[in-house]
Amino acid sequence: MSQYYTTTDHFVLVPALMLALFGCAVLLFEVLVFPHPRQRKWLLLFVLLGLAFAGAGVWRQQNFLASQGIEELTAFGGTLTVDGFAIFFNWIFLAASLIVTLISYRYLEVEGEHHGEYYGLILLANCGMFFLATGTDLITLFIGLELMALCFYILVGFLREDRRSNEAALKYLLLGAFSSGFLVYGFSVLYGLAGSTKLRAVADALASREPWDPVVFLALATTAVGLLFKISAVPFHMWAPDAYEGAPTTVTAYLSVGSKAASFALLLRVFLMPLGAAREVWEPLLAAVAVATMTVGNLAAVTQTNIKRLLAYSSISHAGYILLGLIAGNETGIKGVLVYILVYTFMNLGAFLVVVALRRKDLLGEDLDDLAGLVYKSPGYAILMLIFLLSLAGIPPTAGFIAKYYIFLALIETRHYVLAVIGTLYVAVAIYYYFRIVRSMFLAPLADTGPLTTSFGLRLALVVTGVLTLGIGIYPEPFLGFAQTSLAR
Amino acid sequence: MNLLIVLLIPFGLAAAAPGVCHLTNRLTGWLLAAPVAALTVLVAAWGPDVWREGPRLSHLPWAPSIGLSLSFRLDGLSWLFALLITGIGALVTVYAGAYLGAHPRLGRFYASLLFFLASMLGLVLADNLLLLFVFWELTSISSYLLIGFDQEREAARRAALQALLVTAGGGLALLAGFVLLGQIGGSFELSALFPQAATVRGHSFYGPILGLILLGAFTKSAQFPFHFWLPAAMEAPTPVSAYLHAATMVKAGVYLLARLSPLLADTQAWFWSLTPAGAITMLVGAITALCKTDLKQILAYSTVSVLGILTFLAGLGTVTALEALAVYLLAHSLYKGALFLVAGAIDHETGTRDTSQLGGLRHSMPLTAAAGLIAALSMAGLPPVLGFISKETLYEAGLRAPQHAVVLTKLLVVTAVALFAVAGAAGVRPFFGPPQAPGRQPHEAPVGLWLGPVILAFGGLLFGLIPGRLEQAVETAVRAVAPDRSVQVRLSLYHGLNPALMLSALSVAAGFFLYRLHARYPGPIEPWPALARLAPARAYESALLALNRLASWQTQRLQSGYLRSYLLIIVTAALGLSAVPMVMHRVVLPLSLDLNPRWHELLLGTVILAGIVTAVRTTSRLTAVASLGVVGLGIALLFAWLGAPDLAMTQLAVETLTVILLVLVLYHLPDFSRLTPARGRRRDATVALAAGGFMALLVLIVNSTESDSRLAAYFLEQARPLGRGCNVVNVILTDFRALDTLGEITVLAVAAVGVYGLIRLRLHGGRRA
Repeated sequence: MSQYYTTTDHFVLVPALMLALFGCAVLLFEVLVFPHPRQRKWLLLFVLLGLAFAGAGVWRQQNFLASQGIEELTAFGGTLTVDGFAIFFNWIFLAASLIVTLISYRYLEVEGEHHGEYYGLILLANCGMFFLATGTDLITLFIGLELMALCFYILVGFLREDRRSNEAALKYLLLGAFSSGFLVYGFSVLYGLAGSTKLRAVADALASREPWDPVVFLALATTAVGLLFKISAVPFHMWAPDAYEGAPTTVTAYLSVGSKAASFALLLRVFLMPLGAAREVWEPLLAAVAVATMTVGNLAAVTQTNIKRLLAYSSISHAGYILLGLIAGNETGIKGVLVYILVYTFMNLGAFLVVVALRRKDLLGEDLDDLAGLVYKSPGYAILMLIFLLSLAGIPPTAGFIAKYYIFLALIETRHYVLAVIGTLYVAVAIYYYFRIVRSMFLAPLADTGPLTTSFGLRLALVVTGVLTLGIGIYPEPFLGFAQTSLAR
Repeated sequence: MNLLIVLLIPFGLAAAAPGVCHLTNRLTGWLLAAPVAALTVLVAAWGPDVWREGPRLSHLPWAPSIGLSLSFRLDGLSWLFALLITGIGALVTVYAGAYLGAHPRLGRFYASLLFFLASMLGLVLADNLLLLFVFWELTSISSYLLIGFDQEREAARRAALQALLVTAGGGLALLAGFVLLGQIGGSFELSALFPQAATVRGHSFYGPILGLILLGAFTKSAQFPFHFWLPAAMEAPTPVSAYLHAATMVKAGVYLLARLSPLLADTQAWFWSLTPAGAITMLVGAITALCKTDLKQILAYSTVSVLGILTFLAGLGTVTALEALAVYLLAHSLYKGALFLVAGAIDHETGTRDTSQLGGLRHSMPLTAAAGLIAALSMAGLPPVLGFISKETLYEAGLRAPQHAVVLTKLLVVTAVALFAVAGAAGVRPFFGPPQAPGRQPHEAPVGLWLGPVILAFGGLLFGLIPGRLEQAVETAVRAVAPDRSVQVRLSLYHGLNPALMLSALSVAAGFFLYRLHARYPGPIEPWPALARLAPARAYESALLALNRLASWQTQRLQSGYLRSYLLIIVTAALGLSAVPMVMHRVVLPLSLDLNPRWHELLLGTVILAGIVTAVRTTSRLTAVASLGVVGLGIALLFAWLGAPDLAMTQLAVETLTVILLVLVLYHLPDFSRLTPARGRRRDATVALAAGGFMALLVLIVNSTESDSRLAAYFLEQARPLGRGCNVVNVILTDFRALDTLGEITVLAVAAVGVYGLIRLRLHGGRRA
């Protein structure tokens, strides 16, 4: 047996180590070092430091790969693999965590539930996401997934006094555990077939079998059910609107981008590598799910009056679009998936940031009418929200257009015309419901004259997400290049 | 100067507009119009260059990986449009300042208006299809904000959304068409695509491409049956109606048709889709216009009619038709812009737009009246205004149509007759008709309000008198649309006594008759009462209603809020996802049902089954829990018999704990009652049986496939030599996987600490309470 914890192992693990260490440290420090509520800003500094160290780790990995001219770096005997794909996703996770941390401080104070473990959970969830993007072993992936999910179960129920939050957390936990059962069942069958939990070994084992082999198919189906639940694809999406509405808005934002991106990282890893050989089996399956997802997500969003619920359904429909890229499956398609996830992270976070700003001690700020006439009160916020919504709808010159464009281009290149037509039709529906928000902000008289709940962190986060959402749309080239280098597998 | 920089000027101006408004309230219109006017002069000055040296191109690679480049093209066609956009834009900017006065949202209005101006300019200058699409959608969005400007009125907000959905939805089709075009041509650059016209026309994608692009162009240019959004958009402030919905934005579709003519035209499909669509639109628009009494509605429907004529001409595709297209476009922008602005001035001064309430205004508003009269003459097609020349060329084009010339010319004449009467109703009668008594005493409008219409109307007159000055511009425009044909444009008021002139005389006579007839029936008329239910606007409304109904139905179905129904859906879906493909592919399951059970196994199976049945059927919770315990114990025994004592022990421990916990929880639950109706129970039973059966099948299949057993063999072999133990499970736990065990112990310890913490917290809480 070779040496146990080599320097390569360490090098690969550093971001996760930093996240876990700082996450635990935050938990401990709140109790032992900074017990007073006034000292919480030091905790915040700690979180930022943890994210910075993790970011530095990813940065060094990226530089190392580039300077050595290698495509990937494996560690722990093939359990973890750092490649462009992993680095791409890790940047997204870190960015999402950073933005969510920035906006949470003030929000939690308003909610009256400001506790240090919130930040600890954010860091630990991010640690789980790291393993989802970096892991190439079934067990590691599963543990990463559960680490992330457990943190989210708690975060969703973080408003202890709020019954909606409690209910949401319980539903999410029960359904999540149920779906994990499916996933782990599928994984165990895959292991049984390959005799190894390494994705590459599983891929080799499956490649030597018929794609319609019943065992392979059943492993595929159960794995798919578990994964589709995590990305909240229809018909496994029911937890999402309830959890999104009940959770603290900052957590909803994190859940809708961090958890979704990480679950897509897992889904891509599993479907492209080990299950890649059985593409002819899962392609129609995923196509049906994608169509159902776009249908239900887009249609349900039409009648919502709660912004968080509306955005929940819209995020369901976005999962459908992302799946379309995987179904197309050529280079454009996969690149489209990556670009879409990147863009989605910023535009969706941005939209939630505005919702976070609406929350006040005396105002829930979740109703569509609470946005009425926002442009008169705070034109900057209204215009940024307009940019986010245009982007979510996929209208140029915003980033969302580039993302959708890629997906549709890939569908047309691979002759999936019917899917392209369906997707395009739903974009029209999406314009309809996103513009209900626009109409409320721009074309309705001012309803609520109270101030927005802002903070330096929130404004900074808004500017960053806004600039990126518009910037990627107007000058996409560097981001497309980033996605291109992340394709390497 | 680089075209990109020229384009950035109005965008910058839009961003600066709110600030300018804030600083100078009264002069804003003039201040903002000055740079636009300068831009007009700049564009105008390019004209001779373009005529002499051909198209002016600028290219900047921007996002090569998606084929997007900032490339612009200034040729005869885009020059003509650019001039109209900037010129009328400057006039409308001045006009809006006077029209809206000290409106509290003036800054936002100007920002949107100038943003539109910039986007529209970008649309006509773009040489890259993706870039063109970007600007296309931007014009839709700015139009949305401008139509909904009078936000207090629900009708305005509704019309704004309607216009957006129709035009942006059409835009999506357009994008799809562009992408297909790019797939064939390998580029999105128009300059690179034009040489491949023959390939495009012969390609099997030609039909879809044409259909998609026409869908985009028809929605934007309000062709029947998508025309309904344009009259509804009259909710916008009048300067917006004049600028966007008469002079520029609605022409974007026509521009696109002309722009892509070299690539797509000259086929039967092109002719047979454009010409009929245009013909229907021009007739429907003109006749509906006659039936309206609201000045803006009349003008809107006549705009629809003219857009139909322009599409019709694009469909004919002959050089004469294209020449007519260019001239008619120019004439229409001038007179319709003027008429809208005149209507706005009348509304501003009298407080009404109802033609039955208006008359004799020439005394109180002489300048506005002059502008209205000249514009109306142009619209009616009377000499010596540009409208006359444009109508002559129109007839010429009809007479020389490649096929069905007689029918097509007849349709043109009917439209022209109707438009003649409409022109009288909209531009002449309010000033020269019998005086009415409006609510307040009208005065001449302020300079800001009459300057625009006067310049536009007299511009039409001027060009009518010296049409020769237009020849070069029209010729280059036509050459840009039909590059490979010889173009020789001769414009004059009198071409000799030719058939077109005779048709003109005929239509003037008939038009005058119709005008007199129309004057007798002033009230609004429902033009197509029998067809009202089928009207496209109604179809739009019902589609939205249906969408909302479907949405709430579906949400109620799927999102009940009950965990049990979520689980039901998830289980059913998982079953469906697995079973349907297997049935469809007729997968043969490798099942060996040769189980050959022993008697004690049978006995245990019976006990387990009995436990399940009791648990389901009993009405006592305690019995149910107890019978579930029986099931668990039975499984534990089965494990023990099958030679897995450790597993049996674990199962036993877990089972006992579960039963105890359940019994504890039972105490807190409300009384047992059968809430679910029999139908629901049957459904639940079916799903449960199916799911259970599925899992059983899964176990059987996995069992009957050989799986990799290297690991088991390894442990069995190496337990004694490496671990020095006979109990393989123990050796694995303490030796082979010692680190895992350590981790598990740590987790247990941490969990214990957590439990202790919770209990302590509870004790504290209890004491405090």
